[in-house]
Amino acid sequence: MDTIICNHCDMVSTRPILRSGQVAKCPRCHRAFFKTNTLKANKMFALAITALILIIPAFTFPLMSIHLLGITEGANLLQGALMMIEGAPVVTFVILFCAVLVPTLLTLCIAYSSASIMLGKRPPLLGYVLKLTSSLIHWSMLDVYLISLLVSAVKITSDADVYFSSGLCFFVVLLIVNITLISEYSSTKYWKYLRNE
Amino acid sequence: MNEPLTPGISAIQQDRQVCLVCNMDSSISENPEICPCCHSDIAPRIKRSQQKTWALLITAMIFIIPANVYPITYLLKNSTLYPDTIYSGLITLIRNDQEGIALIVFIASILVPIFKILALAFIALTVHFRWQLNPKKQFIAFSIVEWVGRWSILDLFVISIMVAVFDKGSLVSVYPGIAATSFTIVVITTLFAAESFDTRLIWDSNNNAK
Repeated sequence: MDTIICNHCDMVSTRPILRSGQVAKCPRCHRAFFKTNTLKANKMFALAITALILIIPAFTFPLMSIHLLGITEGANLLQGALMMIEGAPVVTFVILFCAVLVPTLLTLCIAYSSASIMLGKRPPLLGYVLKLTSSLIHWSMLDVYLISLLVSAVKITSDADVYFSSGLCFFVVLLIVNITLISEYSSTKYWKYLRNE
Repeated sequence: MNEPLTPGISAIQQDRQVCLVCNMDSSISENPEICPCCHSDIAPRIKRSQQKTWALLITAMIFIIPANVYPITYLLKNSTLYPDTIYSGLITLIRNDQEGIALIVFIASILVPIFKILALAFIALTVHFRWQLNPKKQFIAFSIVEWVGRWSILDLFVISIMVAVFDKGSLVSVYPGIAATSFTIVVITTLFAAESFDTRLIWDSNNNAK
């Protein structure tokens, strides 16, 4: 009998056979075990490449600009974090980590692991990449950043005129791709592939 | 190769452990330290989970005080410096009739950090003193802490956007204050506290759980 152990509550249960679209959940703590229909490696790879292309304009183009007494100023994501490096280095590091470093590294990792499956290879680095992915996956916070943008836009409207700029379009698309990548990523599938099961 | 496991019982009672990195299960007695599959450190429960959680929680409890007392941003307007704490920022938002945004900021920067610390401390105490509360409810509380935790970083992002937007302009500029660093420490320590807490201990400490 094939069993599965929940890594949230440690209960052993029988591994169910799923029909398409179903999700297996632990009977004791109701956390999801696995689901069917996760994206195929080639689609994951395509999404990861899309994200990598989008990352450059999304992080460097101005996300919004303000108009204050005849002066227009734009602000992009990198600038926003780096400008505080003297006054508050810890804050800068955390912002760069959650909004820039993790999304970029995570996309690179997923691109690497899905490309390995796609090409049918098991490079020695793959194990490390999968480990890195599992420790980074909770730290990608682009969704929080988008809400922060809206909050700051509303805050600024009392002092100046706010306009959304070209970078925001890239950022929103990047966010959608990033969320799809994270929710479709199944670490078990990649580890199974590495073990050649 | 492995003996079949009995469903409905914790794996630790059947000499089995799951690797949190690669999700493979292995025998506890045969692999006491390293996962045979991915070679990461392995243990049936996260090592010293409670100590780690408490250490991080206490750090968060200490730093939440300066985060709320000291100014989180400085506004430089007409060459005068206006300090702003979390509370005074909220009051300004309400005065400017931006109640919706005030609510988001209130939830993300005041309610969530306090709720996270209290909820995690309560669950950790329940596990430590074996208070026999419903494990499912404790786990739901933990899941809320885990999900909601990342949203308290919102305020830091807002500060960084404000600093970038009001830059160079000689008229108005924004600088981060001491509280911004304290608040970052609160956010990061609570996130790590939730990560180092082993939820399986909730069921271990409950006598009725199988």
